[in-house]
Amino acid sequence: MHIPDGVLPAGVLVGGYAVTASALWYSLRRINAAEDPASQIPKASMFTAAFVVLTWIHLPVPPTSVHLILNGLLGVVLGWFAFPAIVVGLFLQAVLFGHGGLTVLGVNAAMMGVPALLAHGLFRLCRAGPLARVRPTVSTGLAGFLGGFAGLVAAAGILFALLVTSIPTHLDTAVERAAITGLVIAHVPLGVVEGAVTAVVVLFLLRVRPALLPGPARTQTQGERDHG
Amino acid sequence: MMHAIDHHHGAGSPVHRWDPRCKLVSLGALALACAVVTDPFLVPAVLAVAASLVLLSRLPAGFVLARLRRPGAILFCLVVALPLVSGPTVLLELGPVSLYREGTLELFLIAGRFTAVVTLALIAFATAPMHTSITALRALRLPQVLTDMLLLTHRYLQEIDQDLSRMRRSARLRAFAPRRPDRRTLATVGALGGSLLVRSHDRSTRVHRAMLLRGHGNRPPGRHTFRAGTADLAGTAAALTAAAALITLEAW
Repeated sequence: MHIPDGVLPAGVLVGGYAVTASALWYSLRRINAAEDPASQIPKASMFTAAFVVLTWIHLPVPPTSVHLILNGLLGVVLGWFAFPAIVVGLFLQAVLFGHGGLTVLGVNAAMMGVPALLAHGLFRLCRAGPLARVRPTVSTGLAGFLGGFAGLVAAAGILFALLVTSIPTHLDTAVERAAITGLVIAHVPLGVVEGAVTAVVVLFLLRVRPALLPGPARTQTQGERDHG
Repeated sequence: MMHAIDHHHGAGSPVHRWDPRCKLVSLGALALACAVVTDPFLVPAVLAVAASLVLLSRLPAGFVLARLRRPGAILFCLVVALPLVSGPTVLLELGPVSLYREGTLELFLIAGRFTAVVTLALIAFATAPMHTSITALRALRLPQVLTDMLLLTHRYLQEIDQDLSRMRRSARLRAFAPRRPDRRTLATVGALGGSLLVRSHDRSTRVHRAMLLRGHGNRPPGRHTFRAGTADLAGTAAALTAAAALITLEAW
């Protein structure tokens, strides 16, 4: 889900860089306000590399196969590091593999990063809100699903709104709106797959390494008890 | 799966010898100027700028074309229908299919911008080792969190890719051959993803300890040794002038 170079007009490119620069500035401010921010950089970098390679996994969704985007999961586990991680990941994908591009880096980062931050907020909110009283596996699984689903569907909404309104197809506004709605609805099943994968991964982390998940609903697992 | 973009960084050419800071600023400005062109008459000019820099950088044509092929195919799928759906002026009628003038011009414009921008980005990062380019970005005042993350992510991308390949091979040996996104497929993919994150986290803890042992964080990061001479600055002035000329022609 990358927009290539050359497709979007100047205004959208500049707008994308403006949104990305603001989100990055705010994220870096929050990161630097934390205690010993440098200690988090190796973890955020390894996770960024892990997310880049995980997006190469293709899942069969007949009649075709789709690759995972995982911006919701990235937002859930990286919090304020999600935006820098997405900028770094997209930069390396553009330079090393030719996915996306450098003039559209701002647009692509905003398209993936803003939904990632939304997924992080949603995940924390779900685990702290009314769901906090139910079993941790249920609340975490549901919060993970919602984070992954919202991350992908929001990114797809931004992508198609940008593509349909930017590429001059001489269609009238009603047709453009119908096209955007249709394309986003067509991506809802993929959002469900993405949400399900996110839920399974966060449940795996809850069982194996709950310290990697944000939010209050932490329970001590067998692994943690064994480690003392 | 990994592609060495800086495979040809050793070839001696004026672009290879250009101060990396000046090179990144110049090629970045040129790429942005090419990306904002909307007049089809300027497409030959942006392609000429990109082609002349390829010649100047002495990058093999086969390497440049191979790097353009894959993103080019994605772009082609995205815009191939434009001449058939965009615009009122019919250029050509082929039975029930009409080829429109506006859509054809738009396709030409998008393809031209794409080729120029991707080629310029390729020249920028193929003519120096990746860590030199990242050091140059740091010297250009990119925030340290970003440049540190870039260095570490680039350094460990290949190893984490190998980790995942090993895990996927193991899953296949245990007869994991997914056909649809059912419960078992999702559980296996989720476990693969979760295991990769846990492994990456453990690796990051070891790397962080090793960095601390080597004194990381006790003093500011080492200063770069780049020196911009007259030729470097003249090159940058020429590139910025060309970028400004393109934007002026576009506005005019």
